[in-house]
Amino acid sequence: MSLAEYKKAWKKQPEDYGKISISDIYKMTQAKSTSIVKWIFIIGILEFIFMNSLSFIFYDDTATEREMIEKFGMTSVMHIIQIVTYLITLYFLYMFYKNYKEISVTDATKSLMTKIIQTRKTVRNYVIFNLSLVVFISILMTIASLRTEYSHFNTKESAIFIFAMLIAVVLIVFIFWLFYQLLYGILLKKLKINYKNLLDLESK
Amino acid sequence: MFLNKDNYLKFYIIICNVVTFETLYCLINKPLFELNSELEKKFLNDFEKNQNIVHKICRIYTSNQDQHNDLFQEIAIQVWKNYSKFRGEAKFSTWMYRVALNTAISLYRKSTRQIKTQELETINHKIEQKDYDDTKDQQIEALYNAIRHLNDIEKALIFLYLEDKPYKEIAKTLGISEVNARVKMTRAKDKLKKILKK
Repeated sequence: MSLAEYKKAWKKQPEDYGKISISDIYKMTQAKSTSIVKWIFIIGILEFIFMNSLSFIFYDDTATEREMIEKFGMTSVMHIIQIVTYLITLYFLYMFYKNYKEISVTDATKSLMTKIIQTRKTVRNYVIFNLSLVVFISILMTIASLRTEYSHFNTKESAIFIFAMLIAVVLIVFIFWLFYQLLYGILLKKLKINYKNLLDLESK
Repeated sequence: MFLNKDNYLKFYIIICNVVTFETLYCLINKPLFELNSELEKKFLNDFEKNQNIVHKICRIYTSNQDQHNDLFQEIAIQVWKNYSKFRGEAKFSTWMYRVALNTAISLYRKSTRQIKTQELETINHKIEQKDYDDTKDQQIEALYNAIRHLNDIEKALIFLYLEDKPYKEIAKTLGISEVNARVKMTRAKDKLKKILKK
């Protein structure tokens, strides 16, 4: 049987398949959407909150640390970092919301997919920015500790201290990255495959 | 004490975060436009008349009845949410093809909806009467089964071909060039023919 014949059969299929009444359609539209776009938005917001709180979990603003930062003459540097971080966070939040609002299911498929992926990337970039900040501040703090509190360390002790700090930072970044890949791997797997299938000829 | 001087800042940050989340969550959940009974009536009529298109898409993209209902509901929500954007320049059905296919391809994740199941009992009942396996027409059933073996993009292409859509419209719906649409269609048809022969 040829495809044209199947097409004829397709056109003749019954029109009343699972017909749903107007009142049932109305009930359906009152339910909440479970689309991945909504998930991306909620998870994105949670990520912003979590990442924003991260520096306060790891870098306690305790008296000893403040003293150490002061001793090392980094007080103003830390203040600047904090202000810049907030400005950058606000920028990312704005971009995230803007991209999210632009996602429209009435667009062409390619454009819709591109916008979903773009929204995702905004949060990803924010996570990368925050993890870089963690690494950067860790380096600063390591240097500051070695110059002030642990200034009595000999070369070997210093090396061990640096190595321990390095391991800790790498571990933290790695765990975050793994969790991140897993979460979005699950959420966006289908979309990414479809995006690839849609564009495989265009890019060549 | 928990709220000593050092903890104030942390507490403040947590409060700020919660407020941010609440505000943004409210923003996404607020209705896109005020409830307009005229518009709603028009939507319900349009959707009811064209629901056959949605059922066909659901049959292609899902493999059981629960998923069928789930996807159908998600498409109904998306069409309703965006109905105010429909300006009537094209036919409602043409516009709905795009929204429905986009929902199936890009927005829908297979999940079991917990709420509303009771309320939808009547719908379940109706669909059960015409279960996939009970379909009299063997040809159509074979065709649906074969299409389900294609990838999501190929499914859309074949569906639009079966619905007699011109290449220009297929390309526009998917957002790809007409040449690309033609090449992809040839491949999808070849793949489908092979599956049907098995």
